[in-house]
Amino acid sequence: MTHDSPVHRLGAGWKIAICTLLSALAIGVRTPLELLALVAVTLLYYFSARLTPFDLWRDTRFFVFQAVIIIGLYCLKIGQSKGLWPGIRTSVQVILFYIPGAVLLRTTKTGDMMRGLRRVVPYRISFLVFVSIRFMPFFFRELDEIMTAQRLRGARLLPRQLLDPRNWGDLFHCLLLPLMVRALKTAEDVSLSAEAREFGTREQRTYFDAALHTEPLSPESGKQCSITPSLLQPCGDMNRINIRD
Amino acid sequence: MNDMNDMNERKFLWRRFTLREGIFLGFCATFIILARAGLRLHLHLPGHVMFFTMFFFLLARGCVPKIGSATLVGLIVSLASFLLGMGTKGPVVFVKFLLPALLVDVAGYFFPNFVNSMVACVLVGAVSAAVRALSDTWIEWLSGMEGEIILQKTIITASLFAFYAGLSALAVPSIVRRLRRNGLIDQGADDTR
Repeated sequence: MTHDSPVHRLGAGWKIAICTLLSALAIGVRTPLELLALVAVTLLYYFSARLTPFDLWRDTRFFVFQAVIIIGLYCLKIGQSKGLWPGIRTSVQVILFYIPGAVLLRTTKTGDMMRGLRRVVPYRISFLVFVSIRFMPFFFRELDEIMTAQRLRGARLLPRQLLDPRNWGDLFHCLLLPLMVRALKTAEDVSLSAEAREFGTREQRTYFDAALHTEPLSPESGKQCSITPSLLQPCGDMNRINIRD
Repeated sequence: MNDMNDMNERKFLWRRFTLREGIFLGFCATFIILARAGLRLHLHLPGHVMFFTMFFFLLARGCVPKIGSATLVGLIVSLASFLLGMGTKGPVVFVKFLLPALLVDVAGYFFPNFVNSMVACVLVGAVSAAVRALSDTWIEWLSGMEGEIILQKTIITASLFAFYAGLSALAVPSIVRRLRRNGLIDQGADDTR
């Protein structure tokens, strides 16, 4: 997958608008000609993002199971000859509804989405979302370590062993239980660390502005620079800087 | 969490959750995402994602027995999946996670101690997971699919979701009990509604 294309360069707002329009059209089409035209437009949009047919398969394979059920049910209800077209039409409509969303997710940088989300999501929830993402590698390593230790103790946690439901007890009690204990302890440590920095004491978000550190002072003034109170300032007051003689 | 409900602890979110509880619920969301990413690589069975999703929703409710805990996990999972590009269904991912999470909280509102009972856990898990199957129904209805077909398809999907969710819900009460016995979470349900 290439990370540069006309679609990648479009703003997130434009992509959301295109996504909404194409998804709405997918719901509205009824005739074979309209459906064919929409398939062509949607695929053009998809491939203009330099995504490959393999990417398309990965994005739509989850709907294959649904399509099989829908077509099967139509054929059972109104016969194979009459039920095939409505079954295919509806399945394709459902797939077309979701493809623009997949393009949006695949071509929009996380940073752009974060900026967009910041306008609607309160900072406290954003913090929890980013803590959740930040700790993924940590818990992945923890999971691996716990699994190795428990396997050495005889727990049946190999993928092929877990296919047998009789071994699921080991999965819950030897792997997930220690993981929850670790999560509880880590939550305590992280919250203590954040609270020690007075995180969450203000209604508005506060942040440390590194630019204040690098602000040059005139050499002849002989003044010292301290920025201690600014850590607790709301976003609007971050330009405050204390100069001591 | 031992003193999570200590009145001296500052409320961080929605005047309900402390920072510690919020972070722990965030970790539950992390586990759901890790499980989804892991299962995506190995299994291709329809509905199996509900196995770990419902397990962690119920466990979140068991460890932080406050109204809104499962919903907060659902919200964090939706936002994180959206940011990580994991939701193949685009913005519908919010409905997909928030709907079952809301139902867990609704059950918690009426039956605060339901996580202690295996039967109640299985029921809540299965029903919440089955309701998630409705998230696609409105699109099919708007696409002009026949009502009877929508109903039959929803029943098939909902049964699969409910089956996997019910299986994982079986383990929740024993894990919550063991965490309580070791003093890692508080005893019993909180009536903070």
